[in-house]
Amino acid sequence: MDNDKQQFYYDDVVTRLVQFSLIWAVIAMSAGIYIAAELIWPALDFGQFWLSFGRLRPLHTNGIIFGFGISALMATAFYSVQRTCHVPLFLPKLAWFCCYAWQVCILLGGLSLLAGWTSTKEYAELEWPFDIAITVIWVCFGVVFFGTIANRKIKPIYISNWFYGGLIIVIAMLHIVNNLALPVSIDKSYSLFAGAQDAVVQWWYGHNAVGFLLTGGFLGMMYYFLPKQAGQPIWSYRLSVVAFWAFTYSYIWAGPHHLHYTAIPDWVQSLAMVMSLILLAPSWATMINGIMTVSKSSEKLRDNPSLKFIVLSLAFYGLATFEGPMMAIKSVNIVSHFTDWTVGHVHSGALGWNAMITYGTFYFLVPRLVGGTLYSVRLANIHFWLALSGAILYILAMWAAGVSQGLLWLSIDELGQLSYTFNEIMASMTPYYGLRLVAGLLFFSGTVLMTFNLFMTIKGRQTVKVNPPVVLASREATA
Amino acid sequence: MNALSLHKKIENNAGLLIFGILFVSALGGLVQVLPVLFQESLQTASANTMPYSAVELQGRDVYIREGCHVCHSQQIRPLLAEVKRYGPYSQAGEFVYDRPFLWGSKRTGPDLHRIGGKYSDDWHRIHLLDPRSVVENSIMPAYPWLLNRAASAGGDIQKKMSVLVKLGHPYSAEEIENAPAALEGLTEMDVLIAYLQVLGTALPDDTNQKVH
Amino acid sequence: MLFKLLFYPGKVFNELSIEDKHAITTVPRFLIFVLLLPPLFSWLGASQFGWRLGGSEPVFLDTTGLVVFGFFYFSILAVGFFGTVYISRWMATTYEAKTSQSLHFSLFTVVCAPLVIASAAHLFPDVFFNVLILIPALIWSITLLYRGLPVVLGISSERGMLMSSALVGWLLVAAVSLLGICVGLWINGAAYVLGV
Repeated sequence: MDNDKQQFYYDDVVTRLVQFSLIWAVIAMSAGIYIAAELIWPALDFGQFWLSFGRLRPLHTNGIIFGFGISALMATAFYSVQRTCHVPLFLPKLAWFCCYAWQVCILLGGLSLLAGWTSTKEYAELEWPFDIAITVIWVCFGVVFFGTIANRKIKPIYISNWFYGGLIIVIAMLHIVNNLALPVSIDKSYSLFAGAQDAVVQWWYGHNAVGFLLTGGFLGMMYYFLPKQAGQPIWSYRLSVVAFWAFTYSYIWAGPHHLHYTAIPDWVQSLAMVMSLILLAPSWATMINGIMTVSKSSEKLRDNPSLKFIVLSLAFYGLATFEGPMMAIKSVNIVSHFTDWTVGHVHSGALGWNAMITYGTFYFLVPRLVGGTLYSVRLANIHFWLALSGAILYILAMWAAGVSQGLLWLSIDELGQLSYTFNEIMASMTPYYGLRLVAGLLFFSGTVLMTFNLFMTIKGRQTVKVNPPVVLASREATA
Repeated sequence: MNALSLHKKIENNAGLLIFGILFVSALGGLVQVLPVLFQESLQTASANTMPYSAVELQGRDVYIREGCHVCHSQQIRPLLAEVKRYGPYSQAGEFVYDRPFLWGSKRTGPDLHRIGGKYSDDWHRIHLLDPRSVVENSIMPAYPWLLNRAASAGGDIQKKMSVLVKLGHPYSAEEIENAPAALEGLTEMDVLIAYLQVLGTALPDDTNQKVH
Repeated sequence: MLFKLLFYPGKVFNELSIEDKHAITTVPRFLIFVLLLPPLFSWLGASQFGWRLGGSEPVFLDTTGLVVFGFFYFSILAVGFFGTVYISRWMATTYEAKTSQSLHFSLFTVVCAPLVIASAAHLFPDVFFNVLILIPALIWSITLLYRGLPVVLGISSERGMLMSSALVGWLLVAAVSLLGICVGLWINGAAYVLGV
């Protein structure tokens, strides 16, 4: 460790990843707004194949998850792993490679989705050349991350790193298994699994991409940045240990609740339902840990837009992790499955939890990275209200739409005949879709404000060089 | 306190932590997913289920490329109203030649598993070109470009079939050889409609189903 | 007082914060409107015009149906309101806010006021019309919560922000539970027939 070439943290790559993440947020959210509008005015595709709903929708989801989400997770993982280990990044050049290779991969991947290259598997739509590229970049990410941990000067590995570690390991496993396929040509492959078995594998992946990426990864973000901002250690260490392992163990079983009442074995469905209910415990334990940490914080948080976002994100996290198990109950799922309620549920997680905690983190992180103050606190406060009202309006619109769809599809009159045609029900959705569009616009305009705000904060400034603190001999890691 | 001191060991040792996460997270998959992958009944075709013909296969790949599965499910649940609306509920044996599966997760439009034979080819053609001319209030996109593209442009059909043979689909050498001829003169619109018309028609003979 | 409560909630919040005798005894009395007006509006609307659920034909309930529905609605409001007060007093200890029962009652009565007024939309029970009226009211109510809570409970606005967000979390969870319970009851035959 004596021959460290550089003594300060590698934060340039963090700043760059934050910028990319912001750009993806704007691109992918505008795609979302566009397809929301297409559901009201279908002629908006103008007869262009690349503007068709079926191609833009995967672009929206992949752009958010892999563009916005993963870039933000890489940025925060690189930032926090250096500080929790008190060493600069392991193989910084490789970290730069991850940063740029990932962006190129997502950019080309997004274009390939518009071209109609798709494996159809939700959240894993990219075809095999991209799957391989993702695997390579992911392994590099793992090497940088775990290499830094191996070099650490603090003996215990901090909690946030468990979650980032879980993200790297489990997503690698899921990604590789779910994308096993035989290629036909550069743009086409056939899945190794077929029919019902393919469905089970896909939702094992799909649900746990939500679990270990959108939940676990972002919990890593929370475990580092929330105590930092609250100026308090995490409320209960023991609770975080229990919650982490319970979470890692039970999440993986819940996937087949996406397949209730379909042609997969009954025991798989029932097991998934039970495990989904159990999952509520570790999810809420983590939420309580976060909220208690914040509530202990001192009063010096005046005009801190960042903490507001993080606390609100925990509220939505509480909602989403409660709603999920509830929708996994078979008799609720009868109504909610295949409806817009599912869409609403995903967005209560994506808008309320993932986006808000990332926003909170970015408002905290960016001024520190460049050694300045936030360009405008006022804009950030406006953003808070736009995000809150957008998210709530979105969720309400989708609840109303989803529950009406579910109930009307199933309703039967006195003679045992269906009460409504599919078309009648679909046509009655337009007002809700209109509300959803408004909600999306509110949320999106907040994101644009933030992007402007943060780019103005970064403008003309260099990433500051921070030295690792001197580590007390007593806490030093044994080589 | 014992558990906590064990945990102290794990959190002081990166190797143990990595192994622990991998082990704990793999358990669920091993116990729940792996048995499903070896369950014979899920990979046995039901009585009338046949592999897709060259034309239908090419049509299915058009369906995939256009992302039809984003808004249409192909899975009828065993619920009274659902069976009344769409037809007999879906069974695992009907999907063994579906790579990938196309059950979908959202019904913005109606389920399509038993769409085969419900409408004429002409209806489908008009519907795909201008959905609102036959279904009032429809919000489905139109697919005019399918009419101008030759079916054979959608990828090498022989290559596709031989890859599927490797995965266990029973295509004969003769079928593969004749595949390009079968696509001759057809547009992507034609093959897509051929696929839609075969969907869900391979109902097992014992159709007396028990609804929940 | 009613006028002040609707148009100058800020003043009411201030009076409550200094534990003004008049305010603190008057405001909780309006609770009766919070709990009774929405079911009443809904009763009138459902019996006169019938529910429009998005399908074409309005649905009319018979008298028993109306009674059951009205009672159910009233109970939800009561459970929801008292539950929120309970949770909020429980949270208050964590955020070092005042825990006086009448203060919490008054706070939520004021916060609910816009929703109660907007519930007049039930008189014309078209689902979308109601959603359209109630959502702005809801946003106004949430704003009142964020504004009023720190003033009434005597904590700094930063802490108030945190506690309000925690309460929004609870309200969202309560709402989705209600949705789940209704759907569960419906599936098991509590309301009109579903083919499951």
